[in-house]
Amino acid sequence: MPKQPESPKQPGSPKQPKSSGFVHAQDKLAFLLSLVPYLLDRDRVSVVDAAAHFQVSEEQVREAVRLIAVSGVPGETSQYQHGDLFDIAWDDFEQSDEIQITHRVALDDSPRFSAREAAALIAGLQYLQAVPETLDSAVHSSLMAKLARGSSEEPSQVAVAKSEANASLVTIRSAVAGGLQIEFDYVGSRGEREHRVVDPLRIDSNNESWYLRGWCHTRQGIRTFRLDRMADLTVTSNPNLYRPGDLALSDNLFDGSGETLGVVLEVHPAAVSLLGEYLAEGAPQLERGAVVQATVRVAHIHGLKRLIASLPGIVRVIEPPEARRAVHDWAAEALAAYDDSVTS
Amino acid sequence: MTETRGPAPVPVEERLFSLVLALLATEAGLTKNEILSTVQGYRQRYVFAGDNASLERQFERDKDDIRELGVPLETIEPIDESGNNQHLRYLIPKGAYDLPADISFSPEEIALLNLAAMAWREGSLSRESRHALLKLRSLGVESIEPVLGYAPRIRTREAAFDPLTDALSRRMLVRFAYLKPGDLSPRERTVAPLALVQHEGRWHITGIDQQIGEPRTFLLSRIVGPVTRTRIPFENDARGTAETALRQLDEIWAANTAVVRARPSSDAQTRLVNRRGSIRRPDGDLTLHYTDLHLLADDLSGFGPEVFVVSPPELRAAVRRRLELTVATHQPVRPTAEEEAGRAETA
Repeated sequence: MPKQPESPKQPGSPKQPKSSGFVHAQDKLAFLLSLVPYLLDRDRVSVVDAAAHFQVSEEQVREAVRLIAVSGVPGETSQYQHGDLFDIAWDDFEQSDEIQITHRVALDDSPRFSAREAAALIAGLQYLQAVPETLDSAVHSSLMAKLARGSSEEPSQVAVAKSEANASLVTIRSAVAGGLQIEFDYVGSRGEREHRVVDPLRIDSNNESWYLRGWCHTRQGIRTFRLDRMADLTVTSNPNLYRPGDLALSDNLFDGSGETLGVVLEVHPAAVSLLGEYLAEGAPQLERGAVVQATVRVAHIHGLKRLIASLPGIVRVIEPPEARRAVHDWAAEALAAYDDSVTS
Repeated sequence: MTETRGPAPVPVEERLFSLVLALLATEAGLTKNEILSTVQGYRQRYVFAGDNASLERQFERDKDDIRELGVPLETIEPIDESGNNQHLRYLIPKGAYDLPADISFSPEEIALLNLAAMAWREGSLSRESRHALLKLRSLGVESIEPVLGYAPRIRTREAAFDPLTDALSRRMLVRFAYLKPGDLSPRERTVAPLALVQHEGRWHITGIDQQIGEPRTFLLSRIVGPVTRTRIPFENDARGTAETALRQLDEIWAANTAVVRARPSSDAQTRLVNRRGSIRRPDGDLTLHYTDLHLLADDLSGFGPEVFVVSPPELRAAVRRRLELTVATHQPVRPTAEEEAGRAETA
């Protein structure tokens, strides 16, 4: 793996789920059971470093350490005597924000994975076989075997089909490593083909769909491109303007908030999720008898009409009339080709 | 329920952590009474020679929470006292709790595992993957950040996913209404779930259909209504069922082919050429592989006039039916006289 160029910033990967507090007591327990062996291995570690390593807040670390320091086993007397409890170097903790466990009980090693935890990691690894960072297959198999062996039960049978390494990703990655721009032809949802010059920032995915997030020099803005809509992708010899991490990217692939066309859809309740990225979080949904009405915001109907036509009888455009007409005409034009072929 | 007795109540995580420590420390195991009367978080609420029914229920729930984290909390039944659960002893064998000492991960492996966990950051298995990440970080290995940032995401949009993974790990039969491709109404199925697999971006559940006693594969997107978890357990010693299910789906995928014609330089052409396994024929038409004719028909219908199905005839018919349905459901509402006239002219 080529060494990452010096950069004070983290690459543009999204933050892990909100680090501000664990929701369930079970999450806190998982943290306590993980923090203890980490601290024992380190001998002495600052709160800042421990928080950065676990990607939690410093206060979460302090709170956990305070709890560990007063926890232990009932012991022979069943009274939690001093020797039955963990102990820490309190002065260092309170004065220099450093952690050192000076006495431990019962616990010293990392816990095993649960069947579902191991299954989530194994299925995730299978999914990632499309990215160039994936390991060669022998190392990959041994990693999956390690996870299975590190699980307290047989991992749950959850699997994702192996996808072939994506050639576009290899090209994009080499452009980023060399600090260069890429160029490609892109076919938009209106059907127009356009040449684009882009600084790659991040690769996003959504199940089997892979996307490039990048600074588009052609459009002078951050744009999202579907990898399977790109053609003739090449690395240019022009240095890039932005590197991964230089520009903030939202976790949403599509941000409809600035779009002007509101389209009212009628959907079967069980199929609302099929609208996927189109349906903004918290968008109002009205129940109308057996169906739900939802409004999605788009720049134009041409992307949405494809989705509607792929879900016949499940999603229907209610308003505006020109959007209905666009969907109608899209399907009618396709149908005409079959009618012609019958008569000919 | 409020805890009124004693000073400040013990936080739940402190009670759970204390229970794990106590059960790890014991070699002979502790009885329920010993746990309730001595372990931090329980002992404050324990009534000597009194009724501890609610505390006992608390202990049952705590055991489930702890086991869900992969902690091997075991029960031993003394040989001489069988049948009397007051004498059951509980413990966590240290050897079964600790991650085997020879398991270690390189910084590259940790980086990849971080991405694997990140892929589940929304919805199903998101808590499991976060817990797994904490455990990985406990090993203290710093990861090597990839050159290119990634935000992978495995989406499980189907509501059936969670109850099915749960039934899978508990080995319980499930019941659901299933709308088989080509059928007009759903039929109830009772299934012993064996594996959940994602193939071509779609989730499938493989299991033994109890009516026919044979293995069947179901698409999660065709499960209509809720999945009912029964309390009926089933035996399963099969290993690698997920791999078998994926291999079978791949065989179906390889055996099914369709030929389509895409408009040059259209969105359909670019995307279908980039589709896994697609082959451009000498005449410019594309040969595609598929697992399910109806799902391919959905995808192709979305491309509208940009794609034309050459073969097989059943796929062609399926796409036509879909297009007809879209046309029928998108007729203009109360068209004005001019619109009506305009359309009549163009038709």
